Amino acid sequence: MTDEELMLAVVNGDQSAYQVIVKQHLKSVSHYAYRMLGNQKDTEDIAQEAFLKLWINAGKWEVEKSKLSTWLHRITHNLCIDFLRKHRRTQLQSEILEGVEPNQEPHENPREGSEAFQRAKQLEMAIRGLPENQRSALVLCHYSGFSNKEAAVIMNMSIKALESAIARAKRSLRKELSETGIEHQ
Amino acid sequence: MITLDEFSHLIEVHSSDLAAWPSDLQIAGEDFLATSEEARALMKDYLELEQQLDVLPVPMFSGLEAKILGQSLPPRTPSLLEQLLEWLLPNSGFTLRLWQPVAAACLPLVFGIVLGNFYSFGVTFESDEMEYWEDELTMLSLNNYSENDF
Repeated sequence: MTDEELMLAVVNGDQSAYQVIVKQHLKSVSHYAYRMLGNQKDTEDIAQEAFLKLWINAGKWEVEKSKLSTWLHRITHNLCIDFLRKHRRTQLQSEILEGVEPNQEPHENPREGSEAFQRAKQLEMAIRGLPENQRSALVLCHYSGFSNKEAAVIMNMSIKALESAIARAKRSLRKELSETGIEHQ
Repeated sequence: MITLDEFSHLIEVHSSDLAAWPSDLQIAGEDFLATSEEARALMKDYLELEQQLDVLPVPMFSGLEAKILGQSLPPRTPSLLEQLLEWLLPNSGFTLRLWQPVAAACLPLVFGIVLGNFYSFGVTFESDEMEYWEDELTMLSLNNYSENDF
């Protein structure tokens, strides 16, 4: 079934079509949310909410305007931005008070304690230090595989602004990583 | 010929893979890469950055799919208004193109009816003519018809 057929079925209350959409898009949505939030529990909450919104607002998706994945990532992006703005202060305060590094969940790879793990950790921290729009642009274009045009639609900005954000993000990461000596190790 | 700044911006925006660049800039990028040592160093830096980004891990979200599929979904029975709107303005298909201009043409008419229903624009039904006819009827009722009797 095409995305259009699936969504039409969802509009008509077909839960099996909804299940197919969840299975098709969950990995992409959860990875995007995780890279934006850096926290497994919050990511799961956002992913749940994103798919619930898809179910409720299925009739609002317009096939002529955007692909389903673009529309779904836009929902996820908006939820992530709202969440970050709402919880930013609380999260920063708790990190300072507890003195812990954020994001300590087990990962698929590499192994904890290894050099690769340390490098990944530093890079992850550098990404988390980026402003939201730069982080989002980087994640959408580099990880999620969206074109600059699609990423601009998801972030509701012009392509020029998107390209400016992604350029600044990569410049910052390159600068930070060269300063901390991660590159060329 | 492109400059180092332009080359740098293109790598940042389109990645270090020249094949991902706009087709009209790929040859210029290759030429610049072949002639500039700085461009090659820049390309190497960004390639390493992208490789490191590629191996950045994400957690396993085991159980999330079941959690999402298990959450209770609100019923999707459309309201009468939604059904009416869907019938009038369907989301897709040939009828959409057929009905849209009709609905659009009807909008001013509907607007006019609604507006006319709420505002009189100074026009009242109680005109002088009506008052005249009421007086006329009163006078007729008081008229003595006995003189017509023979």
